Amino acid sequence: MADPGTTLQGRLASVLPRPHLDRHERGHVVAAVAVLVVSLLVLPSVLSLYWVDSLIQVAVYSVVALGLGLLVGRVGMFSLGQVAILAIGSWTAARLDYATTLPFPVILLIAGGVAGVFGVLVGLPALRLSGLDLALITLMLAGAVTIVLQNTNFPNGGHGFTGYTSSPFGNPPIRRPSIASTDPAYLRYAVIVALLMFLLVLWHLRSKPGRAWATIRQSEAAAMASGVNITLYKIWAFALASFITGVIGAVLAASATQLYITPFQTANSIELMAVVLMGGVFTVWGALIAALLLELLPSIFDIWNLSPFLLLILFGVGVIQVLSTAPTGIAGQLPKDLARLGRAIASLAARAGGGRNAAGPTPAGGPGPAIAVPEQDPVGTAP
Amino acid sequence: MPSWQDFEPFIVTGIAAGAVYAVSGVGMVVLYRTTGVLNLAFGAIGALGALICWSLINTVHAPDWLSYLVCIAVGGLVTLLYGMVIGPALAARDPLVKATATIGLALILLGAMSWIWSNNANARSLTLTSDTWTFRLGSVLVNWTQIIALIFAVVVAVGTGIFLRKTKLGTVMRALANDREISATLGVPVRRVEAAAWLGSGLISGVAGLILADQVALDATTLTFLVISALAATVIGRLRSLTLTFFGGIVIGLVDALGNPITSIAPYKDMTPFILAVAALLFLSRRGGAAARARRVA
Repeated sequence: MADPGTTLQGRLASVLPRPHLDRHERGHVVAAVAVLVVSLLVLPSVLSLYWVDSLIQVAVYSVVALGLGLLVGRVGMFSLGQVAILAIGSWTAARLDYATTLPFPVILLIAGGVAGVFGVLVGLPALRLSGLDLALITLMLAGAVTIVLQNTNFPNGGHGFTGYTSSPFGNPPIRRPSIASTDPAYLRYAVIVALLMFLLVLWHLRSKPGRAWATIRQSEAAAMASGVNITLYKIWAFALASFITGVIGAVLAASATQLYITPFQTANSIELMAVVLMGGVFTVWGALIAALLLELLPSIFDIWNLSPFLLLILFGVGVIQVLSTAPTGIAGQLPKDLARLGRAIASLAARAGGGRNAAGPTPAGGPGPAIAVPEQDPVGTAP
Repeated sequence: MPSWQDFEPFIVTGIAAGAVYAVSGVGMVVLYRTTGVLNLAFGAIGALGALICWSLINTVHAPDWLSYLVCIAVGGLVTLLYGMVIGPALAARDPLVKATATIGLALILLGAMSWIWSNNANARSLTLTSDTWTFRLGSVLVNWTQIIALIFAVVVAVGTGIFLRKTKLGTVMRALANDREISATLGVPVRRVEAAAWLGSGLISGVAGLILADQVALDATTLTFLVISALAATVIGRLRSLTLTFFGGIVIGLVDALGNPITSIAPYKDMTPFILAVAALLFLSRRGGAAARARRVA
C-alpha cells in the first residue's frame, strides 16, 4: 500500500513516522520534559492547596480535551457529548471505589473500558451520519445523560454498588490510591496518569492509526481508495478518545473525594468544545492550553474578583475568532505570533542601530529612521 | 396506569410546548436552508429578548405590548447582526463549522445574560397578557397563549413554505441554498437575501423566546438549552422539511408532556427529544441515499 501521508498537507506532516526527531520535534520534547519536571517536582511542593486542586483539574481536563481534540482535529468528528463520557467514567470509578477493594490502577482501566464501550456505541451511528448530524446527536446525548444523572441521585454515594446515603455529608469519601492520599501527591499521580494518556495518543498518532485518521480527515473517498478501513478507524478514534476520557474520569472521581452533578452538564460539554477549539486541535499542546483555559483561568478570575460569566463571553469570542481567522488555535497561533514579534523587535533593533550610525546627515536630528515600519510580513513563509 | 382524565390537561400543555419547539425548529430550518447555518444560539437569542422584555415591564414599567415588540425586535436584530458580521467570513465553510461558530454566539449571550440578570434568578417570571384569557375545553382550562403558540407555529410553517415556493425572494433564497456562487454570478444580491433570511429567522426566535419564557421558565440557561428540543424537531425534519419539522416538534412536546402522569417515566420524560431524534436519524439514514444526497445539495 502506498503511503497515503505523502500527499497530505504540511501541517499533518508531524504525524508521519520518521526515524529521527528533527530540530522542531526536539524542541517539543524539551518543552514537554520541562512541563513535566515543573508539574511533578516543583509545583506540588510550593503551591498552596487552592492551586494544587486547580492543577489536578487541569491535569484531568487536559486529557478530556486531548480526546475531543483527537476527534475534531485528527478525524474531523465534532462530538458535543464528551462530558457525558467523562461522567460515565467517573461514575463507574466511584461505584467501584465504594463497592470493591480493587487497586486504583485497575479501577482506572475498568472505568476507561466502560467509557470506551459507550464511546463505541455512540460511534456506531456516527458512521452513517454526516458531521453535522453527529454533532447534533452527541449534543442530545449530553442532554440525555444530564437528565439521567439528575434523576438517579448521582453519584449515589454509599457502600456497595447501589448503596445510597441521603445526606450529602454522610457519603464515605471516594478512596484515593494509598501512595497518593494527600493533595500534592495526588497532583503528581494525576499528572503521571495524564502523561500516560498523552503518550498513548501520541503513539497512535505516530503509527498506522494516525496516518489512517489523517487520510480520512482529508478525504474519505481518497482514504477508501487507498485501502484505509474507514469504519474501523472511525470507531477506533471514538474508542480511544472515550477510553482516555474514562480513565481520567476515574482520577476526577477521587480528586474531590465526592462527586457532584455540576461538572457534567450539557453546558460543560459545549464549553469544552469552545476551549478545545481555542487551544488548538492540530497539536497535543492545544489540549494542555484548553485545560488551562477551562480550569486554571476560573481560579485566576476568582482571585481577581472577576465575574465567571466573563469567561463564557471570552470563550464565545474565542470560538468565533478561531473558526473565522485562526483555525490552528492558540497552540498554532502563539508560536507564529511570537516569531513575528521577535522578528519585528529584531528589525526594529537593527534599524535603530543603523539609524544612529546614519544620524549625521539628518538635519533635524529627529528619530525619523528609527521608526521601523515592517516592510513585509514574513508570516507563513517561516517553517 | 393512570386514567385518561390524568392525561387530558397534559395534551393541551404538550401541544402548546410542542408548538413552540415546532416554531423554533421551523425558524432554524429556514435559516439553514438559505444560508447553510444551523443557528445553535436560537434559544439564547430568544432568552435575551425575553429578559429585556422582563426588564422593560418590571423596571421601566413600559406597556406590555411595547415590551413584547421589543423582545421580537431584539431577536431579529441580534441574529441579523451576527449574520452580517460573522456570516460572510464563514460562508464558504462546512455547515459543521458554521454551526459550531453559533455556539460561540450562544456562549457570549449566555455569559452576558447570566452577568446582567444575575441576582434573584428564581424570582423572575414573564406572564403574557394572553395567559389571563382562558376558556374551558372539556374539563381542561386552556389559555390563549397556548392557542397563539399553536396558531403561530402553523402560520410560520405554512407561510414559510408558501413564501419559499411562491415569492420572488423565496425563490432567490432557494437558489442561494442550492449554490451560492452561481446565484451570485446570476446577479442575486447574496448579502441582501441572506440578511432577509437572518432577520426573518431572528424575529421567529424572538417570538419563540417570548412564548417559551412564559410556558417554561424565564431563565437564561434553561432557555438557551431548550434549543436541544427544537433541534430534535429539525433532525426529524432532516434539516429540510418544514412539515416534518413542524410535526416533529408537536410530537416531541406531546410525548414529553404525556410522560408526566406516569410516575415511572416522569423523571426521564425530558429525554424524549433525544430518543425521537436518534430513532429518526437511524431510520432515515437507513433509508438513506436519496435523502442524504438531497441534503448535501442543499
